[in-house]
Amino acid sequence: MPSFLSNIIQRIFSIVITLMVTTMVMYGIMMLTPVETRVELFMPKNLPARLTEAQIENIRQIKIKENHLNDPYPIQYYYWIKNLLHGEWGYSHTIGDDVFHAIIVRSPVTAELTLYSILVFIPLGLLSGVIAGSRQNKAADHGFRFSAYIATSIPPVILAMVLLSVFYVNLSWLSPERTNVTNYLFVESNQFRQFTGLLTIDGLLNGRVDITLDALRHLVMPVLTLTLVHWATLARITRTAIIEVKHQDYVMAARARGVSEERITWRHMLPNAIAPGLASSVLSSASLITGVFVVEIIYNFHGISEIATRSLQFIPDAASALGFSIYSVIVVLLLMTVLDLVQALLDPRNTHGGR
Amino acid sequence: MQNMRRFFSKWHNWLGLFLVAIFIFMAIAAPSLSPQDPKRPGTVKIIGNPLHEHKPLPPSPEAPLGTLSNQSSVFHSLVWGTRSAVFFGLIVALFSMTIGVIVGLLSAYSNRRVDNFLMRITDAFLAFPMIAGIVMIRQLATILLTDAGVQSFMTGSGSVLTINPDNLSPVMIFLQNLDPLMVTFILLSWMPYARVMNSVVHRIKNLEYIEAARISGSRPSKIIFRHILPNAISPAIIMAARDVGGMVILQTTFSFVGLGGNSPWAYSLVTARDWIIGLGGKFDFWWVFLPITVTIILFGIGWNLLGDGLNDLLNPRNR
Repeated sequence: MPSFLSNIIQRIFSIVITLMVTTMVMYGIMMLTPVETRVELFMPKNLPARLTEAQIENIRQIKIKENHLNDPYPIQYYYWIKNLLHGEWGYSHTIGDDVFHAIIVRSPVTAELTLYSILVFIPLGLLSGVIAGSRQNKAADHGFRFSAYIATSIPPVILAMVLLSVFYVNLSWLSPERTNVTNYLFVESNQFRQFTGLLTIDGLLNGRVDITLDALRHLVMPVLTLTLVHWATLARITRTAIIEVKHQDYVMAARARGVSEERITWRHMLPNAIAPGLASSVLSSASLITGVFVVEIIYNFHGISEIATRSLQFIPDAASALGFSIYSVIVVLLLMTVLDLVQALLDPRNTHGGR
Repeated sequence: MQNMRRFFSKWHNWLGLFLVAIFIFMAIAAPSLSPQDPKRPGTVKIIGNPLHEHKPLPPSPEAPLGTLSNQSSVFHSLVWGTRSAVFFGLIVALFSMTIGVIVGLLSAYSNRRVDNFLMRITDAFLAFPMIAGIVMIRQLATILLTDAGVQSFMTGSGSVLTINPDNLSPVMIFLQNLDPLMVTFILLSWMPYARVMNSVVHRIKNLEYIEAARISGSRPSKIIFRHILPNAISPAIIMAARDVGGMVILQTTFSFVGLGGNSPWAYSLVTARDWIIGLGGKFDFWWVFLPITVTIILFGIGWNLLGDGLNDLLNPRNR
């Protein structure tokens, strides 16, 4: 037990360190820009609509003085972090909203996409890795390796275009966007209670199975696009791990005792081959999140990526750029923690060996 | 020699080598494979009159792979896109490998505290998604350039017109010509190299021959560069070869969704997106996207296979 506790403390410590390093780098980048850009980070949320240029300039000067924006880096950083922790992430004129609020409103979309991708690619990746590894150099293995090469080499946009033209334009089985228009209007109205913000779960909680099914239908293409690369990577690493484990003594011993091949693969080899693949998934969670944002843009999901794309259209928008970056780092850290926990739960050395 | 034999005994190593050789050849020979239009040089070559013809035209002697709806030659974009992709991929992979190798070497060879510190920084960078980096870097570059007096306008045809002030400093001109995507990719892809380097150097720095070199009085710099680096760099080279393909695929993706970067491949895919599927679900206009898609996939596969092959060649332990 103490090792478990110290593990958690270590994890929290490393999350804090990571957040500090990344925010320091981000603010360091901001320091290169003129002070008029930086003051946007501190502008109040609800300025009255009718202000003259002189009045706005006045507010700017006050904010510059209040937050010590002409002082050295550490002092500025301190005030900025204090602001962040109070939930004041600045006002973005490209979204027309407070950045923090805009992020909170949009995050369920991103969360839903991420959640389903993980639920799809981890089991599938492990499964196909084990199958390919235990049948090394047979037809299934060759087929897997070939498709894994294709999967890692096809850009998600091309896959998305092909999927869209086949399943949306031609067969009209699936469609882009989050839901269809009628459902969308209903979801936004007062009759629909938002519990979690995830449409698939809220639909069930509201007793509207059709909304859940519709949301799932809309999720198929994005999740497929997103998971293909990660599926291939995870499965490839698991395959290598299985091949390594195959010739170890305990497997030989089990085989000599007459344990069936099936049981050896699933009960003896799989638990020992999970760790490397999942560890690499933990390390690539940043690329998973990048993938989520790209897929949101392709399939027109109005998630967090909207903030990024809008901030790039009208460029001096420091508040939303920084807000987006910080939020995505936080999401990546959360994802890493979750995947780490999954790995710890599945790894037999943690559940059996410690006692 | 035995490694050489193993490398050449597998057909997929041959395939990887062959694909990469073709791409490099295309990159070098681009000007003679598909000469640029002297009136409008660039990676887009307009053939015929786009004002009269609005449909993609099938392959013809002038455009060996047909044209897009704006009458630009697919073959031209393909060839020049290969050139830009090879250039982009190699630069990103080389620079990020260099940064990663230096950080990994330094951290593993210094004392424990520095090692811990550098590895924590590396882990912190791992949590930074590429897309956030692009947003930050593009914002920064544009803000700095606007501040220096550069004005950019969107023209009617979708290209950007920039007007420079007379006394623009060399730093700003450099910044203007820098590809934000490239900078972001380099800054955010060195971490795996550093981690791998770190663990390899940790393993070999206490071996006898390093010990012997140290006792015989070699300078630390000589130990690092003569004795440790050559023996520790092969995993990084393998990763770099695989990265070339991966980075280009990522670049195409980001370019396609409009996050910057100037990949001719992505440009022609964007132009072609409405013509991928014809009426009645027939791929009548196959040339608008099939050649470029296949090229991109082969590019990724080629460099990946080359990486696997180098693994056979340089890494004798795993077979």
